[in-house]
Amino acid sequence: MFKSLRAMPYTKKKELYGLLFVLPWIIGFILFFIRPLITSIVYSFQNMELTPQGLKGSFIGWENYFYALYKDPNFIREAVNSFVNMLYGVPLILVYSLFIAILIKNKFPGRGFMRAVTFLPVIIGSGVLMQILKEDVFSQGMRGGVESVYLFTGAGISGLLVELGLGAGLIEVFNNVIARIFDLTWRSGVQVLLFLAGLHTIPSYLYEASSLEGARPWEQFWKVTLPMLTPMMLLNVVYTIIDTFTDYGNSVIMMIYNTAFSQIRFGYSSALAWLYCLAIAIFLGLVYLLLKKRIVYMQD
Amino acid sequence: MNAIAGKRQIKFAKSFVVITLRYMLLAAVAYQLLYPVLYMLSMALRKPEEAIDPSVIWVPKSFTFSNFADALRVMDFWDALQNSVLIGVGCGLFDVISCAFVAYGFARFKFPLSGFMFSLVILTLVVPIQTIILPLYADMRYFDAFGLMKLTSSIIGGPESISLIGSYWSFYLPSMFAMGLRAGLFIFIFRQFFKGMPNELEDAAYMDGCGPFKTFFQVMLPNAKNAIITVFLFSFVWHWNEYYMSNLLLGNLKKNFAIAISSLRVDLQSVVNAQTISDPLLVVTRIQAGALLAIVPLLILYFLTQRYFTESIEHVGIK
Repeated sequence: MFKSLRAMPYTKKKELYGLLFVLPWIIGFILFFIRPLITSIVYSFQNMELTPQGLKGSFIGWENYFYALYKDPNFIREAVNSFVNMLYGVPLILVYSLFIAILIKNKFPGRGFMRAVTFLPVIIGSGVLMQILKEDVFSQGMRGGVESVYLFTGAGISGLLVELGLGAGLIEVFNNVIARIFDLTWRSGVQVLLFLAGLHTIPSYLYEASSLEGARPWEQFWKVTLPMLTPMMLLNVVYTIIDTFTDYGNSVIMMIYNTAFSQIRFGYSSALAWLYCLAIAIFLGLVYLLLKKRIVYMQD
Repeated sequence: MNAIAGKRQIKFAKSFVVITLRYMLLAAVAYQLLYPVLYMLSMALRKPEEAIDPSVIWVPKSFTFSNFADALRVMDFWDALQNSVLIGVGCGLFDVISCAFVAYGFARFKFPLSGFMFSLVILTLVVPIQTIILPLYADMRYFDAFGLMKLTSSIIGGPESISLIGSYWSFYLPSMFAMGLRAGLFIFIFRQFFKGMPNELEDAAYMDGCGPFKTFFQVMLPNAKNAIITVFLFSFVWHWNEYYMSNLLLGNLKKNFAIAISSLRVDLQSVVNAQTISDPLLVVTRIQAGALLAIVPLLILYFLTQRYFTESIEHVGIK
């Protein structure tokens, strides 16, 4: 056994070691992901009922899926809503967090305090607590969202935009952006953190070399900082999309959970979850393909 | 002479304007981010009667700690603290070790299907936990170590399955196999990090006769301090705030902060309004006190590790 291992060519050995490193994940993937996932596919084709003997299901084919797509009054609307939310959210969060990260990167008096404050959303800006904050705190004055009181309604600004002769569509986009700003700053803690970590890994000789060549800070930003940040950018885009879609307060997630545990319709809930997850996967795949070519790695 | 002095003045004025603008911007950001915390503090210290008193701005007229006392009692604070801390620290440690290990395999080795497997890692992130939560619950409720316990019980006797509901192991087990809460993201972070480390390090270790595992534990992991701290903090905080899984897997047996907070409003209403008419205003101050109590441990941890944490972000060294 050991003899054959020693005689193995280097590349083959490396493959084996790679597999050994990934092995824990493979086990976990099969036990805690694939198995439940397959069970949930099976559920989604069934009409599940809670009987005194336990959970019982009867096969009903595509019924659950057809109901979700053609009959359910809420599902499609909520799903589209959450996609629209995401389309506004991702670019805004990225720009905001990059901006903040650059602001707090260099030394200035009070930087420690500013950093501590900007990372605060990482600590408390997730899950149930955010919901309480939204219900009580934000509704008192500042919060983006549909049924809340906005700090800026954008009414004055939109009047200005009409005067400027912009189209109605553009104005609506603008209003949506303004309404979401406060919500978004509270969801960008992790992103600021990742960007800041990325900024600090850019070697300073790149800046020195480029300034010797006569590049101004503005050019340095576009030609050095931004390309070097692309790996972090990819991570941030992926993270933001997932975070927006699977957040505790996301209406589709709420709907899936409530369908299962308050209405006790496990089969239908599984079907909803499957449709939603398929949509996210397709979208993420597209984004990944689009961004993959533009990533710059230091090594290559 | 005069021209130079004038130029200097212009330069000075320019930098003054830039600095002022910068601090104004920072102040706006800081206010916006601190607002909820200040609001919580201000509310929690008020008497319930003053909750919507418009003449009270930030500083309450009379301070009271009774809100905190009520919230402590209703939330079962110490129980919730124990559960949250044990789950957070345990899962954090397991996540760091397992995800770094797996990510190193993805970052440095090419093996059949490695690209495909990595896209599966991303897939695990994309699938909402609600999709698999029900079968996962069934697995944990009748945990038979995936067939192993059935086998042993048929040979040497013993129970065929045990219930892991209400046990911390239902959280630790997935974390040990790099499948915990958002573990895909941790693998992603570690992989990006290891990919950015120079190959020379490993080549040198290999020259010194280290095998891949030794190289990983003695060279790569100690140099990944940055990523380790980040992942641990994320894992801890997310387990602390996570609701759906903990609600199902802890069941009715135990309570952590996420569960306690989500039911705080209802719990408080039933306790506080027991002998009076139902009045939502009575609860407002106590909810803020409870929410504040739930994040105080996080805030303390954060401010203790904060300097170390920001330093580690800044630590450029080898990456």
